[in-house]
Amino acid sequence: MFNQFGATAETLSKASTLVFRIGTDAHLYDDPDDVSIAPLLDSRFDSEKCEALKRLLALIAQGFEVSSFFPQVVKNVASQSLEVKKLVYLYLLHYAQKRPNEALLSINYFQKDLGDPNPLVRAWALRTMAGIRLHVIAPLVLVAAGKCARDPSVYVRKCAANALPKLHDLRLEDNTVGIEEIIGILLNDSSPCVVGAAAAAFSSVCPNNLSLIGRNYKRLCEVLPDVEEWGKIVLIGILLRYVVARHGLVKESIMFSLHGTENSRSEKDCSDTNSALDDNGNSNDLYESELTNAVSHCYIEGPAEYLSRLSFMNKDSSEFNYASLTSGKNNDDVKILLQCTLPLLWSNNSAVVLAAAGVHWIMAPVEDLKRIVKPLLFVLRYSNASKYVVLCNIQVLAKAITSLFSPYFEDFFICASDSYQIKALKLDILAYIGYIRDPDRRFATDTVARIGICAQRLPEMSNPCLEFLLALTRQQLTTGEFGSVDAEADILIQAIMSIKSIIQQDPPSHEKVPAARAMVVWMVGEYNSLGDLIPRMLATVLKYLAGCFASEEVETKLQICNTAVKVLLGAKGNDLLTIKMVLIYVLELAKCDLNYDVRDRAHFLKKLLSTYLDSQCLEEETNHPGQHKDSSRLLAENLFGKQNKSVSHEPIDHRFYLPGSLSQIVLHAAPGYEPLPKPCSLRCDDPEMDENGDPYVTDDEDSASESLDEEIASSYSSQHSNVDSSGTDGSEEAGSASEDDDNSHQLIQFSDERKNGASQSASDFGELLSNRALESWLDDQPGFSKPNTSEHSQVRTSSARISIGDIGGQVRPKSYPLLDPVNGNGLRVDYSFSSEISSISPLFICIEVSFKNCSKETMSDITLVDEESGKGKDSVEQSSFSDESSTIPQSNEPNLVSVEEITSLDPGQTMTRSIQVRFHHHLLPLKLAIYCNGKRHPIKLRPDIGYFVKALPMDVEVFTNKESQLRGMFECVRRCTFTDHIKELDKDKGDNSLVEDKFLVICRSLALKMLSNANLHLVSVDLPVAAKLDDATGLCLRFSSKILSTSAPCLITITVEGRCSEPLEMSVKVNCEETVFGLNLLNRIVNFSVEPSHPHV
Amino acid sequence: MLQCIFLLSDSGEVMLEKQLTGQRVDRSICTWFWEHTVSQGDSPKLQSVIASPTHYLFQVLREGITFLACTQVEMPPLMGIEFLCRVADVLTDYLGSLNEDLIKDNFVIVYELLDEMIDNGFPLTTEPNILREMIAPPNIANKMLSVVTGNSSNVSDILPGATSSCIPWRTTNLKYANNEVYVDLVEEMDAIINRDGVLVKCEIYGEVQVNSHLSGVPDLTLSFANPAVLDDVRFHPCVRFRPWEAHEILSFVPPDGQFKLMSYRVRKLKSSPIYVKPQLTSDAGTCRVSVLVGIRNDPGKTIDSITVQFQLPSCVLSADLNSNYGTVNILANKTCSWTIGKIPKDKAPALSGTLLLETGLECLHVFPTFQVGFRIMGVALSGLKIDKLDLKNLPKPPYKGFRALTRAGEFEVRS
Repeated sequence: MFNQFGATAETLSKASTLVFRIGTDAHLYDDPDDVSIAPLLDSRFDSEKCEALKRLLALIAQGFEVSSFFPQVVKNVASQSLEVKKLVYLYLLHYAQKRPNEALLSINYFQKDLGDPNPLVRAWALRTMAGIRLHVIAPLVLVAAGKCARDPSVYVRKCAANALPKLHDLRLEDNTVGIEEIIGILLNDSSPCVVGAAAAAFSSVCPNNLSLIGRNYKRLCEVLPDVEEWGKIVLIGILLRYVVARHGLVKESIMFSLHGTENSRSEKDCSDTNSALDDNGNSNDLYESELTNAVSHCYIEGPAEYLSRLSFMNKDSSEFNYASLTSGKNNDDVKILLQCTLPLLWSNNSAVVLAAAGVHWIMAPVEDLKRIVKPLLFVLRYSNASKYVVLCNIQVLAKAITSLFSPYFEDFFICASDSYQIKALKLDILAYIGYIRDPDRRFATDTVARIGICAQRLPEMSNPCLEFLLALTRQQLTTGEFGSVDAEADILIQAIMSIKSIIQQDPPSHEKVPAARAMVVWMVGEYNSLGDLIPRMLATVLKYLAGCFASEEVETKLQICNTAVKVLLGAKGNDLLTIKMVLIYVLELAKCDLNYDVRDRAHFLKKLLSTYLDSQCLEEETNHPGQHKDSSRLLAENLFGKQNKSVSHEPIDHRFYLPGSLSQIVLHAAPGYEPLPKPCSLRCDDPEMDENGDPYVTDDEDSASESLDEEIASSYSSQHSNVDSSGTDGSEEAGSASEDDDNSHQLIQFSDERKNGASQSASDFGELLSNRALESWLDDQPGFSKPNTSEHSQVRTSSARISIGDIGGQVRPKSYPLLDPVNGNGLRVDYSFSSEISSISPLFICIEVSFKNCSKETMSDITLVDEESGKGKDSVEQSSFSDESSTIPQSNEPNLVSVEEITSLDPGQTMTRSIQVRFHHHLLPLKLAIYCNGKRHPIKLRPDIGYFVKALPMDVEVFTNKESQLRGMFECVRRCTFTDHIKELDKDKGDNSLVEDKFLVICRSLALKMLSNANLHLVSVDLPVAAKLDDATGLCLRFSSKILSTSAPCLITITVEGRCSEPLEMSVKVNCEETVFGLNLLNRIVNFSVEPSHPHV
Repeated sequence: MLQCIFLLSDSGEVMLEKQLTGQRVDRSICTWFWEHTVSQGDSPKLQSVIASPTHYLFQVLREGITFLACTQVEMPPLMGIEFLCRVADVLTDYLGSLNEDLIKDNFVIVYELLDEMIDNGFPLTTEPNILREMIAPPNIANKMLSVVTGNSSNVSDILPGATSSCIPWRTTNLKYANNEVYVDLVEEMDAIINRDGVLVKCEIYGEVQVNSHLSGVPDLTLSFANPAVLDDVRFHPCVRFRPWEAHEILSFVPPDGQFKLMSYRVRKLKSSPIYVKPQLTSDAGTCRVSVLVGIRNDPGKTIDSITVQFQLPSCVLSADLNSNYGTVNILANKTCSWTIGKIPKDKAPALSGTLLLETGLECLHVFPTFQVGFRIMGVALSGLKIDKLDLKNLPKPPYKGFRALTRAGEFEVRS
C-alpha cells in the first residue's frame, strides 16, 4: 500500500537527512544569497533580521566579502533582541577595521549598553567595542574597561581584562599607564576567574612590569589552584619569571647544580682533552652537564644571544654571578611557588601540567625533579593531541638528565598507531635514556637491536633509525670508552649490524643517502679489527666498494679511500695482498675523478704510501713491523690509526627554549619569545616594590612585544612616543620656569620678544611665563588682567575662590623640532602652537614656525609646502573624525595657509613665520615639505590636542551651568599624581614662606602646567579654607575651552587631594559633548600632568 | 595568542573562519596547510604544531574535521591544542557527533560558540555547562519550535549564574525528583607483546566516569579500597587537591550529568587476559600466516568483542585468509580485520592463510603489528576497587550505582 511512495533506501536516507536538517540553518549555509539580504536587514521583524544576518555570516564563513552591507548591519546594533545583537557583533568584529567610519556609528549604542542592567549586555558591548579596534575610540574603551573592571559581575570584569590587550594592540602610548593601572586592579580581584584573565592581559601588555606582580605575589600563588585552566597556564609563567627576576635561580636546582660540575671540571678542561676523554665513564657526564649548562644559559639569555657569545668567548667566563642564586630551602617565595604548582601536575589540561612541570624543572631541587616525570608521561597517554609537544619537551629533559626518564623507558615504546614524528621522537628519547646511559649494557644492546628491528618493521621509520644509529656510533666513539669493555663492542657491532640490515633491506632507497653510506664505509675502516666478524668480511666489502667506486657520491669516495688505507694498515695475512690491490685500484680510479677533492686525496694518499705500496717486500715488512717501519708509514698510522681520538664532539644543538614554549617546538625563537628575566634583575630595594600608592609603573613594557601590527599602528605608536617625549619637555619647562620665576630677566625679554612677533630659539627653558604676569596673578592685581576674564574673589563655606588674571595669553607654549639641522643641511626649523585663533576657518590651527640657519652659508628661498593637499584624504581613518565633526567639505581646501617665502636667511639668523594648518585628525601628523635652496625636506607636523581647543572665557556660574548639562556619558574622569609643586616647595623652604604660600605654589604650578600645554581659559581657583595647614584636599581649578572645529564647549575641572608637601592625588574631569575628543584631551592632560618636571641647571 | 581559527572539512574545504584579533589571517593559509598535509603522505596523523612560512599552525583532527588555529607570536602551544580539543569536544556535545554537514547546518551555533569560547585569542568561557546555558544546543524541540513559530533564538538573555560562582562547572539551582549518581570505572589495557611472545609492557589507563543527577549543591566523597595501586592520576577541576594529598580521597562538588572525574594509570601489570600468537613464515614469494587467540588469564567474567586487526604490508599482492571461528575481512586499505567475539569453549580460534608477495620478493621483511581489541564487563583489571561514596548536602539519600569495564587500549602484538 506504500507503493506510491516508491521509497528506496536512498531516498529514505535523503528524506531522513532532510528531516534532520529541518530547523537548522542548513539552507542558509547552502544558499546564503538566494534571497535579497538588504531588505531583510531593514525589516521590522527580528526574525527577518536574524535570517539576513545569518546569511551574511554564512557568506563570511565561506570566505566571501560582504562588507558592503556594513551600514545596514550597524543600524541593527540598536536591536533589543540579544540574538540579533550577537549576530551583529559577530559581523561587526569581522569588518570593523575595514569600515572604521561606519563602525563609529555604533559607539553610542555600546556606550548605552555599557550601562545596561544585564551583565551579559554590558560584557558584550565592552567586548565588541574593544574588538573593533579603532584608534579614535581607544580612550572611550579605556574608560569603559576601567568602569567594567569594577563591575559587580565577575563575567564583566573578566571581559574587561580581555579588553585590555585589544587596547594595547592599538599601541597608543597615551593609554599604557591607564591599561596597566586597570591590570593592577584586576590582578587584585577577589574572583580567581578574573585574576586568570588579568594574568593573560598582563603577559600580553606589560610582561616585564614584574613589580606589579611583586605586590600580589603571595596572593597570586594562593589563588593559583582556583584560577581557570587557561589563566593558570599564563599565571604560572608569570610567577616563574617574577621569582627568577626577584630571587635568581635556585642553588639546588638543575640550573645551578651543573654550574658546579662545570666549575669543578674547568681545570680538567684545560689539561689534555684526550686524557679527559679517556677518563672512563666520566665523559658521559661531561657531555650531559655541558648540555644542561647550555640549557640553563639558553633559558636565561635566549639561544641567539648565548650562541653568539659562545662563538667568541670561552664558556667558563660566562658563569653566572653566584650572588644571583638563592636557596630553594630558605626562600619562601620559591617554596610557595613550588608548593602551589605541585597539585597542578594533576590537572587534566596538559598545558597546565607542562607549565607546572616547567616551573619545577627550573626551580625545584634536583632530587625533587622526579615528581614531574610521571605526570608528563601520563599526558602522553591521556591526551593524544598533546603527545607531540610533550614529547618534544621530554626530549630536552631526558637529554639533560637521562636518569630521570630511564625507569620509564616502556612509555617510549613505539606503537603502530603513532605518527611518524612521534615515532622519531620516541626513538630519540629511547636512545638517550635507554641506550647510552643504561648501566645494563645488555639491555643497551637490546635497545640497539630493537631500533634495527623497528626500522625493518616500519619501513617509513628506517631513515630516522639509520640516522640515529649513525649518530650513536659516532658519539660512542667520542666518549673514548669504546673498546675497553667487551659489551661496548657488542653494542657497536649490533649497531653496525642493524645499520647493515636496514640498508640491505631496501638498498635502492638508501643509496640516496650518501652520508649514511659514507658513514658505514668509515665504520668499516675504523673498526676493521673489531670482533671476529668484520675482519672476515673486510676483503669482500672492499672489493665491493671498489667495484662501485665510480658511481658513489664524493663523500663516500673519500671515505672509501680512507677506509682502504686504514684496512691496509691493520691488515694481516692473506688479505693483505688483495687489499693492497684494491687500494691501488681505488687510488687509480680516484686520480681520474671529476672532483678535485677526490683527486687530491688520491694523490696525497699515494704519495704517503708510496714506499709502502711500491715495496716488494711487503709481507716481510708486516712480519717485522717493528724493524722496518719507515717514517711515512708511521705518519700514515698516526693519521689514520688514531683518527678516532681527534674526532670532535658531535655538535650539541644548543638551541633550547623554555619548556612548554612554542619556540622549543619549532626550534627557533618565535616572535615574542622571551627568555627568563636576568636573575635578580628585580631588586628587593626597588622602590616600586614597596610602594602602594603609585601603580603607574611604566617600564620598558613594549620592548617585548613584537611589532606585528600593520604599518598604521606602528606609525601611531612612534608618533605618539614623540608627542609624549615632547610633552615631557614641555612639562620640564613648565616646572623649571616656575622655579626660576622670581628673578629671571630673560623671561621678560623672551615674552616681550614674543609679543613683538619675533622668533625664538627652541632650546630655552624659561620661556613660559612672564615674571610680571605671574606676579600680577599671585598678587591679584586687576590692572594686569584683561577685562573680560577678571573675577571677583568670593568666599564660600568651605573654600575661598581666588580671582585671577588671564595668564593664558602670556604663557608660551613649548616648541617642537620640525627639522633637524643635521637632516636639513643646517636649516633648523621648530614650531610651537599658538593660542591665537585662525581668522580663516575654525578648522585651522595657528602655529608659529621659526627658521634658523645653523650653517655657515646664506640660505635662500625657504618655503613650507603642503604637497598632499591635492590628493585629498590619504586614509579613511584620517578623514573619519573630521567627517563626523564638521560639515565643511575639505577635499578641495588646502591644509596649509599663508606661508610667506623667506627669500634669504643669513648664517645664525632666525626668522619666524606664522602658519595656519588644518589637521585632519587630532592624532595623525600632517605631512609637509620644506624647500630650501631648491632642496626638498619632508617633514611631519604633529598635532597637539591641547590646541584643538581655544580658550572660552566664562564665569563660574556659566561653567557650573554648562557642566550640569554635560553629565553622564559626556563626563570622563581620570586620576593621576602631580608632583611639580614639591620642588618648588622645597625651594621655597629657604625663604621661610608662609603656609598660605604652599597652596599658592600648588595652584601656580598646576595652572602653569595646564596653560602651557593647552589653550585653555582659567575660570576659577577654589582654595580649601579651614583645612589643616598642610592639607591641600579640596583645591579645585576650573578651565574652560571650546573645540575649534565644532565650537562645542569643553570643561575641565581639576580637584586635588593629599598633603601639600607630598605628591598630590589629582582627579581630572572633562565634560564635553564629543566624548571621543574629550577623552583624548583628558588623556593628554593626564599625561602631561604626571610627567615630573626635571630640574634644569 | 591565537589569531584565527579555521574549520576544514575532510576534503580540505574551509567551512568556517573566525578571526580573533586585529591581525587578520588570510584563508590562503589553509591552502598551504592542505598542500602540506597532502605532501606528507596519506598518514592523517600530522604533527600538531607546524611552522608555515607565515604563521605557526596548531591542528587537531577529529572525525575528519580539522580544527586549525594560527598564531604569529610565542604562546604555549599546548594551550592552542588543548583549546582546539575543547572546541571539538563542545561541538561534539552540541551536535551529537562531528561531520561536515553537521557543522555547516549549524554554522550559526558554531560561530556563537566560538565567539563565546575565545575572546581576542584567549579562551573566555570553555566550561560546557555554562555554554549550554548561554547558547542553547540544537535539539528536536527547538527545531520544531523554530519551524512552527519562525522564532529560533538560541541565545540566552541572561548570564548563567555559574559564571560568577566559585564552582563554575556546576549549574546553579538544579532540582531532580529522583536523585541518582552512577560511578563507572572504565579501564583500557595497553600492552605490547614482542615477537617472542613476551609481555614487554602492560598497563592500565583508567577513568572514573560519574553520571550525576543531584539537586542543589551536593558534596561528594569517593574513596578507594586500594589507592596504592594507582601510579598516576589526573583530576577534573572539581576535585579538591588537599584531601587527595592528605588521604587519597576524592572530595568534590560534581558537575551535572556525565563527566570524567579522574583518570589514572596503573603500570607494570604482569599478565594480559588473552594471548595472540601470530606466526609468519615466508619462502619463495609466499608467506604463511597463522594467528592463534586464546585466554591466558581468566578474569572471571566473559571476554567479548574480541577483534584482531593488522595492516598487510604493501608488498603483499593478495591474501587468502580463513579462520575457524569468527569472520575475516580484508578492507580496501589492506587492513585485515578478524572479528571473533567471544572465545568458544570447545576450540581455540585460529586464523590461517597465505599472502602472495610481489614478484621478485622472496620473503617478507616488513612485519605487521597486530592490534587486539576486547571488552570485559564487570571487571577493572587494574584491581582498583571503590570503597565508598559519601554524599553530603542532599535532602534524601540518592540512588548510587557502580560499574566497571575493561577494554583493550593500545594492545599490540608484534610479529
